[in-house]
Amino acid sequence: MRHGARKAAFAITSIAAVAALTLSGCTSDGGSGDPTGTITDAEREEALNTPTDLTFWTWVPDIQDQVDLFMEEYPAINVTVENVGQGLDHYSKVRTAVEAGTGAPDVVQLEYQFISSFALTGELLDITPYGAADLADEYVPWVWNQVVAGDQVLAIPQDSGPLGNLYREDILAAAGVTEAPATWADYKTAAELVRANTGSYISNMAPNQGAGWVGLLWQAGVKPFGYDGDEGVTIDVNSAEAKEVVSYWQDLIQNDLVSVDPDFTDEWYQGLNQGEYAGWLTAAWAPVFLSGAAADTSGLWRADPLPQWDADNPSSGNWGGSADAVLKTSENPIAAYELAKWINNAQEPALLFATQQNFFPTAISVLEDPEFAAQEPEFYGGQRVNELFAEISETVDTEWEWLPFMEFAYTTFNETFGAAVAAKGDLSAGLDAWQNTLVEYANQQGFTVNG
Amino acid sequence: MAAQVTLPATAPRRKPYNREKRRSNLLTVVMWLCVLYFIVPLVWLFVSSTKDNSDLFTTFGLWFGRDFNLFANLIDVFTYRGGIYLRWALNTILYAGVSAIGATLLATMAGYAFAKYRFPGDKALFSITLGAIMIPLTALAIPTYLLFSSIGITNTPWAVILPSLVSPFCVFLMRVYAADAVPDSLIEAARMDGAGEIRIFWQVAIRLLGPGIVTVMLFTLVATWNNYFLPLIMLNSEQLLPLTVGLAQQQATSAAGGGAQALFSTVITGAFVSIIPLIIAFLYLQRYWQTGLATGGVKE
Amino acid sequence: MTNAIQRRQHLVAYGFVLPFFVVFATMLVAPLVYSGYLSFFVNRLIGGVSFVAFENYLRAFQDPGFLAGLGRTALVLVVQVPIMLGLALFFALALDSGLARGSKVLRLLIFLPYAVPGVVAVLMWGYLYGQQFGLIGQITRAIGLPRTNLLSDELILFSIMNIITWAYVGYNMIVMYTALKSIPAELYESAEIDGASQWRLAWSVKIPMIRPAIILTLIFSVIGSFQIFNEPKLLVEIAPTGITQSFTPNFYAFNLAFVNQDINYAAAIAFLLGIVIMIVSYVVQLSTQRRELQSWPRR
Repeated sequence: MRHGARKAAFAITSIAAVAALTLSGCTSDGGSGDPTGTITDAEREEALNTPTDLTFWTWVPDIQDQVDLFMEEYPAINVTVENVGQGLDHYSKVRTAVEAGTGAPDVVQLEYQFISSFALTGELLDITPYGAADLADEYVPWVWNQVVAGDQVLAIPQDSGPLGNLYREDILAAAGVTEAPATWADYKTAAELVRANTGSYISNMAPNQGAGWVGLLWQAGVKPFGYDGDEGVTIDVNSAEAKEVVSYWQDLIQNDLVSVDPDFTDEWYQGLNQGEYAGWLTAAWAPVFLSGAAADTSGLWRADPLPQWDADNPSSGNWGGSADAVLKTSENPIAAYELAKWINNAQEPALLFATQQNFFPTAISVLEDPEFAAQEPEFYGGQRVNELFAEISETVDTEWEWLPFMEFAYTTFNETFGAAVAAKGDLSAGLDAWQNTLVEYANQQGFTVNG
Repeated sequence: MAAQVTLPATAPRRKPYNREKRRSNLLTVVMWLCVLYFIVPLVWLFVSSTKDNSDLFTTFGLWFGRDFNLFANLIDVFTYRGGIYLRWALNTILYAGVSAIGATLLATMAGYAFAKYRFPGDKALFSITLGAIMIPLTALAIPTYLLFSSIGITNTPWAVILPSLVSPFCVFLMRVYAADAVPDSLIEAARMDGAGEIRIFWQVAIRLLGPGIVTVMLFTLVATWNNYFLPLIMLNSEQLLPLTVGLAQQQATSAAGGGAQALFSTVITGAFVSIIPLIIAFLYLQRYWQTGLATGGVKE
Repeated sequence: MTNAIQRRQHLVAYGFVLPFFVVFATMLVAPLVYSGYLSFFVNRLIGGVSFVAFENYLRAFQDPGFLAGLGRTALVLVVQVPIMLGLALFFALALDSGLARGSKVLRLLIFLPYAVPGVVAVLMWGYLYGQQFGLIGQITRAIGLPRTNLLSDELILFSIMNIITWAYVGYNMIVMYTALKSIPAELYESAEIDGASQWRLAWSVKIPMIRPAIILTLIFSVIGSFQIFNEPKLLVEIAPTGITQSFTPNFYAFNLAFVNQDINYAAAIAFLLGIVIMIVSYVVQLSTQRRELQSWPRR
């Protein structure tokens, strides 16, 4: 039981360390929160200069470049980057590693919608003591809300995905649509024209894209999810407002104005490439994604805000985006925190995410950086898409919460609401089915369900 | 029966009279049409390996595209992420090889013992083994994972090799084979000569068990080579993955786009390359394969 | 044989079987027991671990997803297995009869799909099934047949059955063919001389003679049907609404454990699945054996 003894010894040392830190009475560096124990500059210096090995699990492509910059900055720290899978595969590996007690990384990539589920199971380290609270002003407010729970900061934001409308200007023009639709009513009219005159679909509404659909609900001001951080969840996916939104789409689907193919499949890529879809209601990371995936259509696309429900109060939702969090099991929390913070906060690596991986940034300094804002990609005929999405980002509703079990929520989404979409059937009934599955699961898991 | 041991499966045992006159053209045509069903997907795979990404989706599946891109694709396959494909291939060979050797050794020893010795509890143990054939290994994978993680050997090659060492079916095969292949008289004679039991096994029995051993080895080799579920849950590190999990992960990455160009042509070519070794092995070793299957199939 | 010699031989025999059984106990028995143990608990997101005896099993019996998965497996058993084994038998007999030209090559080509790793086979067929750009779609469009979505919710199970059939007909065929080859010629040479056709021979003589081989393939196919995992796992991205979490019991256990974080219920499902497989295999074996007793004497 050498392993067990080592774990016990470490547990005792870390408890002692935390106790020592909290009792040391150091104040935070000018932050406005409660004076919880924070680490001193001396401790930070020491941690950054002690030879340390960190493991970082992320699926962001080419993140080695940012990590290399970090290792140049802090030569004593050696970081191993592992890609253990995408999305759900990655999350299940993280969980099983933490549960097993060995093999868990120090820093993990987490999409915003999954932060609360990891917080619930107590796997995330509260990084407030390490100075995270000071970063609050450097990020777009609705994004920062996503990484905090009460007075704890759980992750450092990396990128986000405010929703906009990417469309093929040439196809719309051929159909007689000269301006991008400003309201949803206009959108339907445009859809009819496009379908009738060109045979293309104005957009594809994928039945397996829970995050995309939820983003549209977000835009409409619907609040389907709530979590009080403890035992109470609010589940209201079939509210009247939500049903209003989906009945709009049911109308379009059943009139064959939008297609319902699953997305991110080879078939779907070809649909984009060959003009079968004249547009895509999607997130800010899509412009560059599309440039790679539909390279043959370069120059033909434009970007615009989403059609609005209320033209006077423009709003948007979000789809995707990740943050980097430190796991509680990390044996080097200070170094791990610095890694998560530095690559997402220091100007050089953070800007690199925007210019190289083409992520949509969350740090205000990067959003306002001229290099970023002034980009005029040829794919969009020279339009300043970054600037546009930065504006859209400011209209994203700030009050949005997730359920602490979104993996389950999204998988059952496919089987309930998604199935209704694929069958071009009753979407309201689909919402009801999803609601029932979610409530049943929440009750089973011991939550108190409101709404 | 000696015939089963020494003659290859295709030994003629019918008089060849009337062979030439009694061919059925209808059956020939039907059979060859059926064969198309089995072959066309593989032809598609080969042809697709010669296409680049856009040709993949715009040209007819069974004929070549505008350019012959096979070599460029092959280069992509082997340079993707620093040559990890080769790493995956080596891992596959390692896991499959070690598991095959280990499982064969265990099964041969056990099968031989069951066939040639009577000892207290032999019937019970053999029944348990037979019964275990029906336990779905996939049902065991998850609890095995939890057991392994509590002793810290997940994400190591052992996590894949150890569970693959136990093959109750191979014990059954070897028992059946050994019962026939190693005559009791030979064993008795060796004992008279003063040879120890273990020496008899290694020097006498193993030689006679040859074809059966090869069969069992092939069987376990293929089973581990093709295993997807077990390495999927046991392994995290990209460097440790076998080809099955690696290719599947690559497909998932290309489908998700990952910001870079879609990788479908690389996945397809990688898939094509991965089937070549086993096909060659099968072509080369058909004889043993069929002999061994005879043992299991005919006797009960 | 003296007692001492007997005892020595016993020890040697134990020595031979010991390595296998050590691994057997650790890799098969221990996980099985652990699985059973886990299945008696639940681990709630709120409230943690608690002992619940058979509650998980009760839940499984009332779980529409699990039952649907079993139903699909039953469908596979009743549709795919007979087709696959029927084809295998037909091919084996055809090749054995020597009536077709190029038997050796035919045999090899039919067997070839078995050499393709399952993962690759599924990925490959996934591409072939693509409605617009898959080969099948291209061919049907060229011939003028209506466009069918082989990945649709209604058809996905049959598409999966097709993949399994494609991959395993060859293997089953070889098992049966080898069994056919070891039937001594004398048994039907006289019938051949008398002019009996190959078909008649096949029906009356050959098939009954290779009954054990057929039963073997049947049992393996039954076991295999209950373990379907690769196909749903690899196709779920392109058939996301058709392939539900509980599409097959095995896939369900995987999702429960790794997506829903419900290890205990997954253990119960896995355990239940194991029991169902054993029961069905036994039933198959018993029902074929009873008929065995009435058959003519074996070689």
